[in-house]
Amino acid sequence: MTAELILQTLLSGLLMGLIYALVAAGLSLIFGLMDVVNFAHGELLMVAMFATLVLHNLLGLDPLLLLPIVAVLLFGVGMAIYRLLIARALSVTFNTGMVQIFVTFGLAIFIRGAAQFFFGGEFRSINNSWLANKTVALAGIYIPLPQLAASVVCLLAFALLLAISKTEFGRALEATREDREAVGLIGIDRDRIFAIGWGMGAAAVGVAGVMLANFYYISPQVGANFALIAYVTVALGGFGSLGGALIAGIVIGEVEALSALVLEPSLKQVGMFAIYLAVLMFRPRGLFGRL
Amino acid sequence: MSVSRIALGAFLLSLATPAFAADDIIIGAIYPLTGNGAQVGLDAKAAYEVEADIINGTHPKIPMLMGEGGGLKNLGGAHIKLVFADSQGDPQKARAEAERLITQEHVVAIVGSYTSATAATISQVTDRYEIPYMSADNSSPSLNQRGLKWFFRTSPHDEMFSAAMFGFFKDIGAKTGKPVKSVALFYEDSIFGTDSSNVQRKLAGAAGLTVAADIKYRANSPSLSSEAQRLKAADADVILPSSYTSDALSIVRSMNEIAYKPKAIVAQAAGFQESGFLTGAGPLAEGILSRSSFAGDAIKARPAIVPVQELFKAKQNKSLNDNTSREITALQILADAINRSGTGKPADIRTALIATDVKGIDTIMPWVGVKFDETGQNIEGTPVIQQVKDGTYVTVWPFDVATTDAVWMK
Repeated sequence: MTAELILQTLLSGLLMGLIYALVAAGLSLIFGLMDVVNFAHGELLMVAMFATLVLHNLLGLDPLLLLPIVAVLLFGVGMAIYRLLIARALSVTFNTGMVQIFVTFGLAIFIRGAAQFFFGGEFRSINNSWLANKTVALAGIYIPLPQLAASVVCLLAFALLLAISKTEFGRALEATREDREAVGLIGIDRDRIFAIGWGMGAAAVGVAGVMLANFYYISPQVGANFALIAYVTVALGGFGSLGGALIAGIVIGEVEALSALVLEPSLKQVGMFAIYLAVLMFRPRGLFGRL
Repeated sequence: MSVSRIALGAFLLSLATPAFAADDIIIGAIYPLTGNGAQVGLDAKAAYEVEADIINGTHPKIPMLMGEGGGLKNLGGAHIKLVFADSQGDPQKARAEAERLITQEHVVAIVGSYTSATAATISQVTDRYEIPYMSADNSSPSLNQRGLKWFFRTSPHDEMFSAAMFGFFKDIGAKTGKPVKSVALFYEDSIFGTDSSNVQRKLAGAAGLTVAADIKYRANSPSLSSEAQRLKAADADVILPSSYTSDALSIVRSMNEIAYKPKAIVAQAAGFQESGFLTGAGPLAEGILSRSSFAGDAIKARPAIVPVQELFKAKQNKSLNDNTSREITALQILADAINRSGTGKPADIRTALIATDVKGIDTIMPWVGVKFDETGQNIEGTPVIQQVKDGTYVTVWPFDVATTDAVWMK
């Protein structure tokens, strides 16, 4: 096994890990805010990818230019999901946990079905974007440009999310997370905070979707490939911790890439779940969890 | 609601749903109509509907078996009626759907089912209920080796396909002076991939080729970059992938990302033959070779291809491929057997299937013909090797049916 092979694998793991981190960030944000696990998270990723595809074909714009449009679109989708479904599910007084699980689970199946109805089951790809299928070589290591761009965007998105958490709105978000009943007394509109939280979570996964569409196939099922990893990432990083999601995403990307190199690749998720189980046993709140 | 209103409702409902003519022959078809394999299933549905239409309909005569229309002659012109069920690609759901089709829809035979994992469960059910299972497009060699009495497969299986690949290696090596010395196996982790790789490993050993890499990967992985790096490190003369569409797209992209251009890729069809792969991979698909049971460009040797192709295109807006052509042929052979049974009863259909002896010229396939051995496997389904040129597959082997020369290890 050469040094180049190992370096190349570490790089692939890092690039993929940052994508995992960004997908997980949205999930973590929503969970941290209101203790609701969004089972339709992978489907939001898929919606963002299809939105990129449709807008790309319609407007002829490169996915990179579509980034703000899709992010805003997904922000709206996230807010709509909160207002139309989650707010109602939260106000249910019986079987609350079950209702919250099934409402997003049902939403996931609905979105997937709708995507298949409108777009069919065909696998699609964006092949004529600026970055599509381009690679640069650096001292014998190959860097695929679409993934590199995705990583840069991912880091920027994390920086933005962290910056937001330092603003007054961010403090309101934090306060609502800490005690959702008490914030009403100091004039914070809890419903509005939750809606914006969902919007931000969906926008984060939307950004991941746009960058993925540059180098990944698009189909109604595509979200499922990433959703499971997102749940593990959130649990590993610690529920509600943005920095935790970032670190955990990279850890999972690297563990997956390295286990595929040294183990039989069909077992590559074993390493990732082994770490997850270990964390569950010895540090149930996750690496950086504050709960 | 009063009894009379219920009766009225039932009466109106019976008017709204067209009653089957008493002599309709009902055939079940189980495919993934939702989930990752959905597009393959929806294309299969269109293919079966086209073939049923040819058998039942009033099209101009098509020069092939059952191509004259007008239904099943020996059964008083009875029509073929298809009932589709969704397996979602899940073997357990496929099993349940097979039971439902048999006990509630009263089908006389079932066709299916794309993935070999679902065929394994469906064919257990059909054997228990004693109705024929016609495997149109399942390619695992183990399927007909389980002692089932009601299993029939018109398509070649992966052992025959892989034998053809190694036959091709021998011929092309002799022709171009660039023989294959090593192969890399790359296969997904369900029954299709593992069965296919077992055969390829055996054949590579028998042909004295080095297996430079033996990579079993997890299907639908978000990333196949490490796998691509292992293939690059091995750099075999030929990569032999057994993959469905999603992974086929991922691996060619992952290899491109690390600037790896394999000398040759010879695919076990499946995902590599899908139009989603050809358009999705775009320029990255050029030059990829794949085994195929269908040679859509062999229109001189198989005159029925052109009219059947036209009907399919009109319905589904795409050309016939390796899967849809085999599905059409499976229903054609099954319908012929039902016709020859004279009764449409499962036991008589089975007897007729066993006696099947159809010449390749009477189908749209480049095969020698259709004749089942005692395990229900068609022994005359001879595959071809095709190569992607300008975005479509053209036949390059056997040399006598080839329409163009293979681009080999450039």
